[in-house]
Amino acid sequence: MEIAGLLANLGLGFAVAVSLQNLLWCLAGAVIGTCIGVLPGVGPVATMALLLPVTYLLPAEGALIMLAGIYYGAQYGGSTTAILVNLPGESSSVVTTLDGYQMARQGRAGPALAIAALGSFFAGCVATVAIALAAPPLTRLAQQFTPPDYFSLMTLGLVFAIVLARGSVLKAFGMVFLGMLLGLIGTDVNTGNLRYTFGISDLFDGIGFVPLAMGVFGVAEIIANLTNPERAELASSKLSGLLPTREDMRRSIAPILRGTALGGLLGILPGGGAILASFSAYTLEKKFSRTPEKFGTGMIEGVAAPESANNAAAQTSFIPMLTLGIPSNAVMAMMIGGMMIHGIVPGPQVMEQRPGLFWGMIVSMWFGNLMLIVLNLPLIGIWVRLLLVPYRLLAIAILFFCCIGVYSLNNSANEVLMIAVFGLFGYLLMKLDFEPAPLLLGFLLGPMMEVYMRRTMLLSRGDPWVFLQRPLSLCFLLLAALLLAFVVLPNVRKAREAAFHE
Amino acid sequence: MRMRSSQDIAAGLLLLAFGLAGLWIGADYPMGTAQRPGTGVLPHILSWCLVATGVLIWLKAALAGSPPLSAWAWRPAIMVTLATVAFALLVDRLGLVVSMIVSMTFTALGTPDTRWREYLMFALLMLGLGVGLFIYGLGMPIPALPTGYPWK
Amino acid sequence: MRRRKFLAFAGAALAAPFAQKAVAQVQNWPDKPVKLILPYAPGGGTDLIGRPWAEKLTQSFGQQFIIENRGGAGGMIGTEAAAKAAPDGYSFLLTPNATLSVLPSLRKTPYDPKSFLPVGRVGDFVTGFSMHPAVGPKTFKEMIEYAKANPGKLSYGSAGLGTATHLRIEMLKYRAGIDILHVPYRGSADALNDHLPNTVQMMNEINTIPHVKAGKLLLLNINNATRHPDFPDVPTLTECGYANSDVPIWYSLFAPAGTPTPIVAKLNAKILEIANSQEMRERMRSINTVVPAQTPEEVVAYLEEDTARNVELIKATNMKLE
Repeated sequence: MEIAGLLANLGLGFAVAVSLQNLLWCLAGAVIGTCIGVLPGVGPVATMALLLPVTYLLPAEGALIMLAGIYYGAQYGGSTTAILVNLPGESSSVVTTLDGYQMARQGRAGPALAIAALGSFFAGCVATVAIALAAPPLTRLAQQFTPPDYFSLMTLGLVFAIVLARGSVLKAFGMVFLGMLLGLIGTDVNTGNLRYTFGISDLFDGIGFVPLAMGVFGVAEIIANLTNPERAELASSKLSGLLPTREDMRRSIAPILRGTALGGLLGILPGGGAILASFSAYTLEKKFSRTPEKFGTGMIEGVAAPESANNAAAQTSFIPMLTLGIPSNAVMAMMIGGMMIHGIVPGPQVMEQRPGLFWGMIVSMWFGNLMLIVLNLPLIGIWVRLLLVPYRLLAIAILFFCCIGVYSLNNSANEVLMIAVFGLFGYLLMKLDFEPAPLLLGFLLGPMMEVYMRRTMLLSRGDPWVFLQRPLSLCFLLLAALLLAFVVLPNVRKAREAAFHE
Repeated sequence: MRMRSSQDIAAGLLLLAFGLAGLWIGADYPMGTAQRPGTGVLPHILSWCLVATGVLIWLKAALAGSPPLSAWAWRPAIMVTLATVAFALLVDRLGLVVSMIVSMTFTALGTPDTRWREYLMFALLMLGLGVGLFIYGLGMPIPALPTGYPWK
Repeated sequence: MRRRKFLAFAGAALAAPFAQKAVAQVQNWPDKPVKLILPYAPGGGTDLIGRPWAEKLTQSFGQQFIIENRGGAGGMIGTEAAAKAAPDGYSFLLTPNATLSVLPSLRKTPYDPKSFLPVGRVGDFVTGFSMHPAVGPKTFKEMIEYAKANPGKLSYGSAGLGTATHLRIEMLKYRAGIDILHVPYRGSADALNDHLPNTVQMMNEINTIPHVKAGKLLLLNINNATRHPDFPDVPTLTECGYANSDVPIWYSLFAPAGTPTPIVAKLNAKILEIANSQEMRERMRSINTVVPAQTPEEVVAYLEEDTARNVELIKATNMKLE
């Protein structure tokens, strides 16, 4: 690696990124992204689609920088609502609710938000450096993944979803299975057959993630809290400081490092690695911790790791887009759309033909992260004060924002009705002591696993042994089995003891 | 075997119900071949898993007992549901302002400690925020006031 | 007789203000933003063509032409929405031929493909079969020989069941009598992801072209009638001996049934004008697209021809959405 060459490239990048206009676009994107991200339901894709025409007017670099800013901003905004009011705006913030919301209930929303911001910033910086140094080799690494490898990786992800549950393992299994089944509702893309739709055309494309998450997390929580306000009321006496303590910082260092590494690696997989980032990091922390049973009650590690992981993954998911022209997710697809509007054909030559664009984007990623921290740290004070509003009023606001957020996604009132259904369902789950996080994770992973399973079987001409023959796939499956054993065996032992005592 | 109205008995039954429903509704989904697994493969597997898990939970509860179900929050559940449904049904037809008022009021009715004067001020604030932010700020194509219904 | 004349007069008199309004409508069209419904999620091939056109049309008419992505069900959801849209000239469908000339033969669609009024063609992809270099065959001929010698060994990735790229391989298999495994993906980007590491050996999309230029993939042929200007040595399908074996991938603008003909004509004229401009040609060329100029009537004929050909292919190969 010629350092001189790298420095020259970064220099070029800085020159592009630091122009006043581009910095302005970066800021605009970050601000808009944060505002949008905080609104539950309205995600980066919708925002970028709305603002894409605006970018016609900007030069190519400015347009892409702004779109990227919106993306990070929305990522971070989603974490804010997850911590404050248990509303995961995006799939990547589901896991943040587990400990983040508990911390908020204990009056520690400030430290949670701050560590989330700092962890994200660190992860963003590291990921930016990784992209600058190692985009091509990382791409080659990602290319090693074949369909059976993806399937096994997602199986491992499902096991993570079970392991991260705080309560009964059996119930976690149940939630994962149910979530997967819910994910299958809709049209089977391969055949066009409808599954479990009961003729309701709104279900033809499946249940939306946002109505499900809003209902099961947000609305259910509101129902539970309305007649039990002391659960949610935040007396100012409980509000202990906005900044993380020394202790918090010390405990967060390792999780942030681990989360960044894990998220950064998962993000480069175009087939959907980024989704796994946050909850893999969470599970990893739980395994490394000396007090795993405390996870889910407000452990700072449970916020630091997933937040770093998902920001690292968000950044590294640019890699396949920048080096190969392959979008890892809908957001990257929008970025490609933005590029094409400006006549840039994404693909392997972008790096050579438009180095200013390539390196300018990378450097502005770093600036974007910087701006987000500068924007968000002061806002923490405001957010936390919002929690002091009496719950009887706060609930009204939360419910309204849920409804309008979901409505705005597709201008569909039917999706708002779905929140009502899922809200009641979520409340039922709460009453029966089921946890919603594994449900949502199963919901996300189930359909993807089916796609990869079918693709593997098609390519292997019907031979299932290929899952064990590919080394990566075998690795992941073994890990999954081991992890599962660790989690299930103690329970089996306990059950036998209990049965003996009967 | 002690069969009380306990939490996990219900939990197990819920999963069992979902699993059986999945099997019954999905009974006709084609299974395809080994090389081309069909529409029904994963639903069948998952439904069976749900049945198994449900039975296990139920057994565990029946043998070892589990905490009883705590009281249900009927009033909030009904009110919040009504609030959401009201919003959904009214927003297209009567505009944002009306649907907000109706739905916010339902939510407020969902808790016994609502103070009505306080609510009134808060509701006005929310209305301003809602209309200002979503319609003027973000330019969403939602009518603010009831438009042309039914008196156009 | 007199009464009839009187009624006719009265009718005309009553209708006059409305007719005037209608004429004014056309003359002022467009006087508010126009929706272009794209029946696919953002970021796909249709966006590639749609967005430059939306921008150009906005510039030409001075009114916003907004792209609305309504993906789902392989294009059916968006197409259905367009079919049901008000035929006032403010909603159009921008779609590849798949939704109208392929899907209705494979499944029951909630719209009638014949009900749409063609407005104009906005782009045809120019690409051909790509092959991963690690497989062995370097030319089209070698590929056919290899496929004949190793039936079922080669695999081909398409953008999905029922897409034009799916039909391309079926057509090739049918005409050449070879057996290649078809693997459906969720869009061309998804397929490219597996094509680059040789998980699937072949594809036929435009997103492979940058990689061909970078030397990572081989381009075996061009499906269109003329060679690709950037690849003067790559033969066309016809030159390889397979005339009439192409399944064109073409994009066009359609209007819902009932849209006033003058508006359609006005938009078509503008489309032709833009299509012939140097700037648009260059831009389309950079995304491997050409824009043939056709009047609405010609588009109708082309659509019928395309549909007939696809129906025949589907019947002959017994293609189903399995």
